[in-house]
Amino acid sequence: MTHTVSRAPVTARGKLPLKERYALLTRDLGWEPSYVGKERLFPYTTYEGIKIHDWDGWQDPFRLTVDAYFKYQAEKDRRLYAVLDSFAQGQGHLTLSDASYLNSIKLFIQGITPLEYAAHRHFAFLARYLDGPAPRFAALCQSVDELRHCQTQVHTISNYNKFYGGFHSWSKMHDRVWYLAVPKSMFDDAMTAGPFEFLVSISFSFEYLLTNLLFVPFMSGASFNGDLPTMSFGFSAQSDESRHMTLGLEAIKFLLEQDEGNVPLIQAWIDKWFWRAYRVSALVAGMMDYMLPKPVMSWREAFELYFEDQMLGGLFPDLSFYGIDPPRHVEAAIAEKDTVSHEVYKILHNFSFAAAFTTQTPSAGHLAWLSGQYPRTFDRYYRPVWDKHRRIEAAGGRVFFHGLPQLCQVCQLPLAFTEPGDPATLSLRRSEFRGETFHTCSDGCQWVFEREPEKYVQARLAVHQILQGNCGGPAMADVLDWYGIQPGDNGEYKDSPDALSWARWHEGSPA
Amino acid sequence: MSVKARYDYDFPSADRIENFGADQLVYVLWEGNPLFCSAAAFRVPRAMPFGEFVTAMVHPWAASDPDFDPGAIGGWRLFDEPLIAEPTMTMEGAGIGHKALLRFTAR
Repeated sequence: MTHTVSRAPVTARGKLPLKERYALLTRDLGWEPSYVGKERLFPYTTYEGIKIHDWDGWQDPFRLTVDAYFKYQAEKDRRLYAVLDSFAQGQGHLTLSDASYLNSIKLFIQGITPLEYAAHRHFAFLARYLDGPAPRFAALCQSVDELRHCQTQVHTISNYNKFYGGFHSWSKMHDRVWYLAVPKSMFDDAMTAGPFEFLVSISFSFEYLLTNLLFVPFMSGASFNGDLPTMSFGFSAQSDESRHMTLGLEAIKFLLEQDEGNVPLIQAWIDKWFWRAYRVSALVAGMMDYMLPKPVMSWREAFELYFEDQMLGGLFPDLSFYGIDPPRHVEAAIAEKDTVSHEVYKILHNFSFAAAFTTQTPSAGHLAWLSGQYPRTFDRYYRPVWDKHRRIEAAGGRVFFHGLPQLCQVCQLPLAFTEPGDPATLSLRRSEFRGETFHTCSDGCQWVFEREPEKYVQARLAVHQILQGNCGGPAMADVLDWYGIQPGDNGEYKDSPDALSWARWHEGSPA
Repeated sequence: MSVKARYDYDFPSADRIENFGADQLVYVLWEGNPLFCSAAAFRVPRAMPFGEFVTAMVHPWAASDPDFDPGAIGGWRLFDEPLIAEPTMTMEGAGIGHKALLRFTAR
């Protein structure tokens, strides 16, 4: 192999300045291939149609080196693991706001932690296959970050597995269970796209546009509900996340500056991936408004602050300089801010008999909070339904959906969303492709489907897989067993093993 | 627009009718009942009489709502059009195809 590296002279003892070390680590570790062509070395960076004229135009705003990187991360790990030890030794789980709080953390480890691992894998791929040395090194750092996030989350949350249901088989569940197909299929969609689409999907749309809506609610929820360990891994990941956000923005600006022909490709990916990531965030919306015994802020308020003000008000005016418009269907997302969390929690409440968490009808106090947060919709559309649930439960019943739902071909959530501006009418979209009917939940998902129907016809919809006999057997008990869900992980919270243990552990405690 | 790929991108649909033998998928929506988050999905023999489908499959599901009254079911529609189906007609005979959406009211 022929190196064309011109090495800076290294003195026997002294270290090089950071800037030079970074240059050596990135730019100077690149070389011109001599015995294979560039297109064989980097086979994935041309077919999407993106044109890169100068890979050295990539500016890494952080200029991390390996030694500095490991030093920072080791320090953060030391602090996190000290918190984990002291929480475990002091039986900290008994000081949570309520055992039902942990349903949000079950959703987190089942739904989000495996995405960290998936991101680790794909950034490792990019660390090999991007042409430029600087973006390769940035991808490598992010790959290591994502693996660390996965590990610290598993270590943090494993303490709860000793005392509560639903924490035991999250990896298997992520691959198999219906509601986890929502985040999983989004990441699978991104990982099976080209490298540039992946950067726009995960680095930009997921980590930049929506990260404050996807990640922060769990951490603030932890803080409000006495979950010090989860809050600590949140802090521990925060500096990495802000680096990832900056890289996401840097990546998109780099692509936009390289060639004018890239602009329409990037715009189409922003249009697609905003909607894909936004639909995953709907699960977080339901969690925020209904699963936290001490709610932090409503989904509507978070959406207005983190998305409407920060992104539509702050980011997109800057991007318009490059010819980039706000995402297609953003108006539909805004119109849904008073409805989406209620519709999603309705799904979870209907189907928690098949979930690895429990749900419950909101208490009178919680209903009053929701009513105050959603003056435009709650009392008119949702309170009457919860009142009916409360009547049925007062008589000893509990409504579950005795069957399986119709799923969206793209986001894989049930078709449970309503028409923008009309919370009483379900939004049902239908497309034909090669003589077969495909159903989607919204204009956004229908647009994504019709743009690449060949991709989405392959979707492994959980309900249809059960009905094809591919999920352990025909009876719900067979399916739950195949999902890895154990009796008591699922169903209603109020008479769940978690609720009963919690009451027993707190017997005789001062109120 | 089609998928950009480095090879011929052509894969079969995961839910094509051949994967369901003599059966097919049918969705049923109880219109105006917000106790249910969405329509229900059923695997139904194409030769099953429509009336039997309603009593054997739709009724037990609809009874998830304790206020459900089987006698009140009516106003059937196939997608957005009124459904003209005698109870003895088969699903196929009534024009209810794979992945069709049926709607009813019961109030």
